[in-house]
Amino acid sequence: MTPSPSALSQGLLHCHECGYVASISLVNKPCPVCQSHLHTRIPHSLQRTTAYLLSSYILYVPANIFPIMNVTQMGVTEEHTILGGILSLIESDMLPIALLVMVASILVPLLKLIGITLLLLNVQLRWQRNARLWTKLYRAICFVGRWSMLDIFMISILVALVDLGSVSKVIAGPAATAFAAVVVLTMIAAKSFDPRLIWDNQSPRKSRP
Amino acid sequence: MTVTNALIACPECDTLLALKNVAIRHQALCPRCGVVLYQPRNKSIIYTLSLSMTGLILLFPANFLPLLSIKLLGNSQEGTLWSGVIGLFQEGLWSVAVLVLLSSIVFPTIIIVLSFLISVHLYWRRSHQHLAVWMRCLQHLEEWAMLEVYMLGIIVACVKLADTTELKFGLGLYAFVSLLVINALLTQNVDNHLFWQHITKLRTHDPIS
Repeated sequence: MTPSPSALSQGLLHCHECGYVASISLVNKPCPVCQSHLHTRIPHSLQRTTAYLLSSYILYVPANIFPIMNVTQMGVTEEHTILGGILSLIESDMLPIALLVMVASILVPLLKLIGITLLLLNVQLRWQRNARLWTKLYRAICFVGRWSMLDIFMISILVALVDLGSVSKVIAGPAATAFAAVVVLTMIAAKSFDPRLIWDNQSPRKSRP
Repeated sequence: MTVTNALIACPECDTLLALKNVAIRHQALCPRCGVVLYQPRNKSIIYTLSLSMTGLILLFPANFLPLLSIKLLGNSQEGTLWSGVIGLFQEGLWSVAVLVLLSSIVFPTIIIVLSFLISVHLYWRRSHQHLAVWMRCLQHLEEWAMLEVYMLGIIVACVKLADTTELKFGLGLYAFVSLLVINALLTQNVDNHLFWQHITKLRTHDPIS
């Protein structure tokens, strides 16, 4: 494969907002098209991504051990954790929906946490192989992020609908806040990661100190 | 056009490329990382204008008519988009309530309003000093409007409730589904590249800004 020149190596930069290609001398100045601040790479990308990622790891624990909702039916109150909700769906023979909820609220957040960790390691340790594949991982993480909100929306609908006094009532639990925070923080972490850092490692080894 | 330059840089791997004309229904892919660089849309401005006008009309029924109602032992309860937010707020989970409010009501509304404002200005070639700011907001908000995820939440909630209660779909649900389709079509139809080109053109022709 012939090495293609990066904009940076040609003394050019690319506006994150409108795509305008400007001279590198305009760095930290407003973009002539959209007035946003010009940067060669997202500023402090690795530090910010790491900070958001660590916060989401910490919040992932309460999100999974505390109840996400309390369901009262005929005077009996049951506490549901994320996993418990899925198990009760399986028990009532709704396997496809159980799978959907499991993918959205357990697999996706977990794979996102692991995926962003791997991306950070990739850049930090300068793994030079399969950059294209790593970029694909980044794209996948960005794409799936929002679908984890499924559980939060479902709870908000249940809270609104099932409010029939002592007969039947759904109350959101403390894990809902933690889980919502995990979803939002991992989304922001993915947004603050700059995929071009993966490709910056691709330059020949000898140019590195 | 004076400001538009012929070079583009890949947003994900920083490869510097010469911009070529891409036909409608074709994509320009980055040769190095494979990301879709540019995908021109057919009649993007007029489509955006008409879609956002439809969206503006649909906003009201989707927000204020009941989406679902349940009946259990003679008690019935209706739920709108807002009642979930209010329910969460009353239970003290204000952060989750704010998140649901933003991602299911506020952001989709802002997206439709901004798309309308931008396309109106571009269609009649009127310049406005905030055009670039609107466009930047629109690009950032796309990811945070989660109507389709909300819809999935409604489906899962329905499945959970179906065996114990009597469910009824409200008129609001039909409006909500239409709004969701409009929103998805809008994000697909806004041709960022073309819009920025037009915004640049209007700016250079306008002595005020």
